[in-house]
Amino acid sequence: MLNFIIRRLLIIIPMALLVVTLTWTLVRIAPGNFYSTERKLPPAVEANIKKKYGLDRPWYEQYGIMMWNIVRLDFGDSVRYQGQSVNEIIRRHLPYSATIGLLAYLVALVVGLAAGIIAALKQNSFWDYGSMALAMLGLSVPNFVLGPILVLAFALGLYIFPPARWGGPLSLVLPVVTLSAIYAAYIARLTRAGMLEVMRSDYIRTARAKGLDETTVLLKHGLRGGIIPVVSFTGPALAALLAGTVVVERVFSIPGLGNIFIQSVLNRDEPLILGIVAFLSILIMIFNLIVDISYGFLDPRIRYE
Amino acid sequence: MLLSSCTSSASGRYFGQVTVPKDNVLRYITGSEPESLDPQFVTGQPEARIMVALYDGLVEYHPKTMEPIPAIAESWETSSDGTEYLFHLRSNAKFSNGDPITAKDFVFSFRRGLSPELASRNANLAYYIKYSEAYNADQSFVKDANGQFLLLKDFSESEGVGAETHDTLGAATEFHKFLDSPQRLTVPSDEKERNKLTEKDPKLKAALQGKEFVAVKAEDIGVEAVDDHTVRIKLYQPAPFFIGLLCHQFFRVLHQPSIEKFGKAWLKPENIVTSGAFKISLYKPYDVLTVVKDPMYWDAANVKLAGIEFYPLDEQTTMQNLYKAGKVDATYNHTVPAAWNETIRQYTAEYSLHPEVANEYYSLSVKKPPMDNIKVRQAFSLAVDRDALAQFRKTVKPLLDFTPEGIFPKYDAARNKVFSEELGKIGSSMDEWKKRKFDAEKARKLLGEAGFPVQAAGSGWSCPTFPVDKVSITYNTAESNQRVAEFIQAQWKQNIGITVPLKNMEFKTFLPYRSAVEYQGVVRNGWVGDYMDPFTFLNLFYSPQNDGATGWWDPKYDKMLDDANKETDETKRLEMLAKAEFYVMQQQIVIPLATQGTSWMKKPYVKGMYPNPGTLHAWKFVYIEPDQSKWTSNMESIMTDNDPSVVTQLDQLMASQEQMKQQKANEQAAPKTTAE
Amino acid sequence: MAENTEFVKGASLWRDAWRRLLKNKLAVFGLVVMVFMVILVIVGPPILRLTMGFTADYIPADGELIKSFPPSLEHPMGTDEAGRDLFARVLQGGRISLMVGVISTIVSLIVGVSYGATAAYLGGRIDNVMMRIVDIIYAIPYILIVIVLLSVFGGPNTPSWIRSMAETFGGVGNQGLAQIFLLFFALGLVSWLTMARVVRGQVLSLKNQEFVLAARATGVSTPGIIFRHLVPNALGPVIVYATLTVPSVMLTEAFLSYLGLGVQAPYASWGSLASDGVKNIAIFPWQLIFPGVTMALTLFSLNFLGDGLRDALDPQTRKF
Repeated sequence: MLNFIIRRLLIIIPMALLVVTLTWTLVRIAPGNFYSTERKLPPAVEANIKKKYGLDRPWYEQYGIMMWNIVRLDFGDSVRYQGQSVNEIIRRHLPYSATIGLLAYLVALVVGLAAGIIAALKQNSFWDYGSMALAMLGLSVPNFVLGPILVLAFALGLYIFPPARWGGPLSLVLPVVTLSAIYAAYIARLTRAGMLEVMRSDYIRTARAKGLDETTVLLKHGLRGGIIPVVSFTGPALAALLAGTVVVERVFSIPGLGNIFIQSVLNRDEPLILGIVAFLSILIMIFNLIVDISYGFLDPRIRYE
Repeated sequence: MLLSSCTSSASGRYFGQVTVPKDNVLRYITGSEPESLDPQFVTGQPEARIMVALYDGLVEYHPKTMEPIPAIAESWETSSDGTEYLFHLRSNAKFSNGDPITAKDFVFSFRRGLSPELASRNANLAYYIKYSEAYNADQSFVKDANGQFLLLKDFSESEGVGAETHDTLGAATEFHKFLDSPQRLTVPSDEKERNKLTEKDPKLKAALQGKEFVAVKAEDIGVEAVDDHTVRIKLYQPAPFFIGLLCHQFFRVLHQPSIEKFGKAWLKPENIVTSGAFKISLYKPYDVLTVVKDPMYWDAANVKLAGIEFYPLDEQTTMQNLYKAGKVDATYNHTVPAAWNETIRQYTAEYSLHPEVANEYYSLSVKKPPMDNIKVRQAFSLAVDRDALAQFRKTVKPLLDFTPEGIFPKYDAARNKVFSEELGKIGSSMDEWKKRKFDAEKARKLLGEAGFPVQAAGSGWSCPTFPVDKVSITYNTAESNQRVAEFIQAQWKQNIGITVPLKNMEFKTFLPYRSAVEYQGVVRNGWVGDYMDPFTFLNLFYSPQNDGATGWWDPKYDKMLDDANKETDETKRLEMLAKAEFYVMQQQIVIPLATQGTSWMKKPYVKGMYPNPGTLHAWKFVYIEPDQSKWTSNMESIMTDNDPSVVTQLDQLMASQEQMKQQKANEQAAPKTTAE
Repeated sequence: MAENTEFVKGASLWRDAWRRLLKNKLAVFGLVVMVFMVILVIVGPPILRLTMGFTADYIPADGELIKSFPPSLEHPMGTDEAGRDLFARVLQGGRISLMVGVISTIVSLIVGVSYGATAAYLGGRIDNVMMRIVDIIYAIPYILIVIVLLSVFGGPNTPSWIRSMAETFGGVGNQGLAQIFLLFFALGLVSWLTMARVVRGQVLSLKNQEFVLAARATGVSTPGIIFRHLVPNALGPVIVYATLTVPSVMLTEAFLSYLGLGVQAPYASWGSLASDGVKNIAIFPWQLIFPGVTMALTLFSLNFLGDGLRDALDPQTRKF
C-alpha cells in the first residue's frame, strides 16, 4: 500500500510539468498577445515591450527559463496585472472558489445521499420516482440557466439574496445551490443504484439472516457498499466541479480562480495560465490519490499491490 | 413582461430600488478588472475612470464637454506658432502624503512615461513633444567631428521641422535654446536597425560615415521645469489639440520618491502615493477598489463625495441586476443590453443616450480584389440601410462620414459648409451626399458597372459573377458585433444579392489579424477618440503605418492634415480638417456605419455626473443629493440644464485661465513691452 | 455479463435485452422522444422553409419586424432580437446539438474502444503502461485544456485539415462549420478516457474465452481478434456508456457556448440559444424557455434511455 502511495506521489511532479509544457505550447501557438490593444502599437513601443518581457529571445531559451523557474515554484508575475505575482493571485482567489466548491459538494452530498437512500429504501414508491425525476432535472438543466432563474426569483423578485458579488453569508446561498444541483443529482442516482445493488448481495442476506435489524443492516453494511460509487465519483466530480465553478463565478461575479482562469486565457496571460493549470492539476492528482486510498478502506475486496 | 418590485415610495418611476446611500460613498461599476494602478501603463477605459480619481494633471476634463479645464495648472499660454506651451502651476497642490507638487514632478512623470524600459503602450500620445519619440524608440543624435549635430531638415522633405521665429514664453534658458534650435536628425541607436535604414537611403548612409552617435536621453525631451511652478513644453510641430490631450491619465503627475524607493512595489496600496482628489483605501482585485477623499488635495474643499467604490464587472445582465437591486448607483457606457433598451428607455430620469466620441465602421481591404475597385466599395457602402441599422441597434445614430456627429458642434458646422462647397465644385450637392445613407438601386448599378451585374431572382436579387469566396465580414466575438454583422450580411443579401460569409474570432486573435490587413473584404472597426478634437479620428489614416486597417495611405491626405494643424485660427483649421475628411471619404476606404451612443444609467440622486462623449467623469464634480426635489428628472436635457453647484465649482476653477486669456487679449491689443 | 450466452453473438442476447427495454416505461418514453426529436430536426427545417419561409438565419428586411416577439400563431416560439423565427432556430440548434453530441461521442468511442480493447488484449506490461497513462491523463483538469485549445484553434488558426473538411460540407470560408468540427474533436477527447476503461474491463473478462482461442488457432491476426471478435462482444456497456455520453457532451458544449467558445455564428446550438436567452430572461423569457425546455427534454430522454439500456443489458440490476 505504501509503495503504491509513494509511486503515485512521485509521478505527480513530472505529470504536472508535462501538463505545463502542453499548455505553454498551446498558448505560444495562439495568435495574439497580452499587450495588444484596440489601437496599433508603434513599432518602437512594441520593441520596448518585447525586450521588457524577454520575448525577443529564441523560443527554447524562453521555455528553458520558464521551466527552470517553475521547478522552483516561481511562476513569475502576471503580465496583465502589473506587480502581482502569480502565486499571490492564486493564493488570493483560491479561497473564493474553494469555499463555494466545497460547500456545494457538501450540500450535494447531504441532499444526494439523503435522496438516494430514501429512494433505495422506498423503491418504486412516490419518493423513489419523485426524487429520481428531480435528479433528472438537475442533470438536464445547465447551471448557467439555473443560476439566473434563481436570481430572478429570489434576488430580483423577492429581494432576499443579492443578485451577484461576494459579501456576507447570504450572497453564498444562490451560487452554492446552483453549483450543487447537478452533483446532488448524480450522487442521488449513484447512491440509489449502489445501495440497490449491494442490498441484494450475499453478505447483506447473511446479515439479515443473522437477525440484525433493518437499520443496522442498512447503516453498517448497506450504506458502506453504496457509498463506494459515490466515493469513486468524487475524483471526476472535482474535475467537473472546476468547470462548474467557472460558470457560477461568472454568473454571480465572484472573484474565484475559475473566473480568473478564463480571463487569463482570454488575456493570453501566460504566467498566470501556467500557474493555475499546474496548481489545479496537482490538486486533482492528489485528490484522486486520496480517493483511491479511501476506496481501499471502504471495500475490503479491493487491494493494491 | 416587467418585474414588479417592492420599493420605496419614490420608485414607481424609477428602475428598481432608489435608496440614497447613507455614507456618501458612490458605488460605480467600472468595467473589467484594472490591469494596474499605474496611469502610464494602463490603456483601457475601465482603468481610465479610476485613474481620473487617483491622479491629477495639468488639466482636467470638463464634466460636460470633456474639454480641458485648469487643474494643477492654474493657467497656460501658447506661443504664436503653436509649438510651445507654458503652464503656471498653483502653489498649493500636494500629493496624498503631503509632499508639494512642483514642476519637477511633471518633468519626472513625462520622462518616466516615455522611458523605453517602462514600455508604456500609450507613449505615442506624447510623441508630439520634441525628441520624445526619439527617446522612446532608442535613437541617437548624429555628431560630426566639429561637434555639430546633423539636422533633420537636410534629410527629410517635411517642412517646418525647425523652429520658426516666435515669441518665447517664460524665462530664456540654455535648455530652451537647445529646444528652439533646428530639429536634429535622429537615427536608431542599434546598429542593425540603423543599417536597415541606411540601405534604403545612400545619401543618409554617406552622411553617417565616421560620425559619432549620441543617444537621446530623457533629459533631451521637450519638457522643462522653468521654475518650481512653471512647466514649459515644446512640440516638434503645432498640435492645437495638445492641451486636450494632456487630460489623459498618461500625463498626470506621479510621486518620484516612492517610485524610486519601492520600484515595482510602488503600486501596492500600502506604498502608493497619489495626486488626485481621491486616494486608495482598499483594493481587493476582482471584487472592489475603494477610494476615499484625499484631505491633502488642493481642491479638497470642493470635493463632495466621501469616497467611491469601484466594482469590476463586465457582464451586462449582472450589472443591470445589481443596479435594479440598488446595490450600485451608476454604470459605465454601453451597459444597457440592446434587448432591454425599449424597457429601460422609459426611465428617462436614469437612462442616458447621448452621442459619444466613438464611431463604428467597416474597414475595406482596398488593396485586394474585388475591393480594390472603388465602384465595388461604393456599392457595398450604399447597400446598407443605416436607418434600419440604427433602429436595430437602438443605441446608435447613422453616420455617413467618419468623424462622429453631434459632439463637435463647431466642426459639424465647418463640415457642412466645406462639404457643400466641395460638392458644388464637382457638380453635386449635400442632398446627393446624404443619399449615401442608403441607395440600393445605385449600389446595384455600380456593381454592374464594375463588372458584377446584379439580376433579379425571385423576390430578391442575385449576383452570380461576384467572387464571394474573396470576401468575408470579419469581427471579434462579441454579441453586438455578431448582430451587426448578421444584419449587414442580410442587408447585402437582400439589396445586392450577395451573401458574404461571416468570420469571427476571439479578440486577441483578431487584433493582429485586422491591423496587418490580413482579412479579405471588410472587417469590423471602431475608434474611440483620445481627446476632443476631430483630428483624433482623421489621424487614423495618417502615415503609412496608420491604424485604419485598410492598407490605404496617401501623402496628399497627410499634407492636408499637417497643414490644418499648423493653422492657428480655429475656424479655418476646422475647415481644413473638413476638407481632408471630404477627400478621404471620396476614396471610400471604409464603410461608415454609426456614431455610438452612451447608453448607461445612474440613480436620480447622483448629480454632477454627465453623459459626456467619453463617459469619463471628473469625480470631484460628482455628489449625492439626499433632497428628492433636487434629483435628476430628465437625462435627455441634462446637458443643457444648469446645476448651480457644478456651475459655481466650474466658474471657480476656470477663473484663472479666463484671466490669463483676457490678459493675453489685452497684450495683443497693446504694444509689447518685454517678454515675461 | 451472463457467462453462458455471451459468445453466441446475435439474436437471443439482443432480442432478450430489447424485450426488457420495452418493458421499462421510462426508457420507452425516452426512446420515443428521441426518435421524434431526430425526425423533427431533420425534416423540420426544410418544411418550415417551404411553408413559412423561415430559416434559422432569416432576418426580415422590414425594420419593424426586427424585434423579439412573443409566441404567436405565426411564430409558435416567438422571435429573437433580430426577428428570426425561434422555432426555426431551435430546430437548427437541435441539428447542431445532436450532431455535436453524437459525433463527439463517436469520436470518443473510436478512440476509447480501440485504446481500451488493445490494452486489455495485449495485457501485461503494455496494458499496465497504457492504463497508467489513462489514469494520469484523467487527472488533468481537462476542461482547462479544452478551453485553451478552443481559444487557440478557433478562428483563422483552425488546422487546415479541419478546415477542408468543413469546406466540403458547408462551402468555402465557412468559419462556423470549421469551429463545429473542431468541437467534435475537442469534446470527443474529453470522454474517451472513461470509454477506454469500460472497454478494457469488458475485454479483460472476454479475452480468455474459448472463442478467442479458436480465433487465434485459426490464425486471425491480433487486430482482427480485437476488432472483429472482442469488440462486438463488449458492446453492451459501451452502448450504455455512449448513450450517457451524448447528454454529457451536449451539456459541455452548452457550457462552452456560455463562455463564447462553443458553436459560433451563423450556427446555433441549444446551448448557445439558451445562454443567449438567459440574458433576457426578465424581458423576453421565451428566448430561454423554448430552447431550454427542448434541450432539457432531450437530455432527460437520453438519460432515461441510457438507464433503460443499462437495465436491459445487465440483468443483475433488474428491479424486483
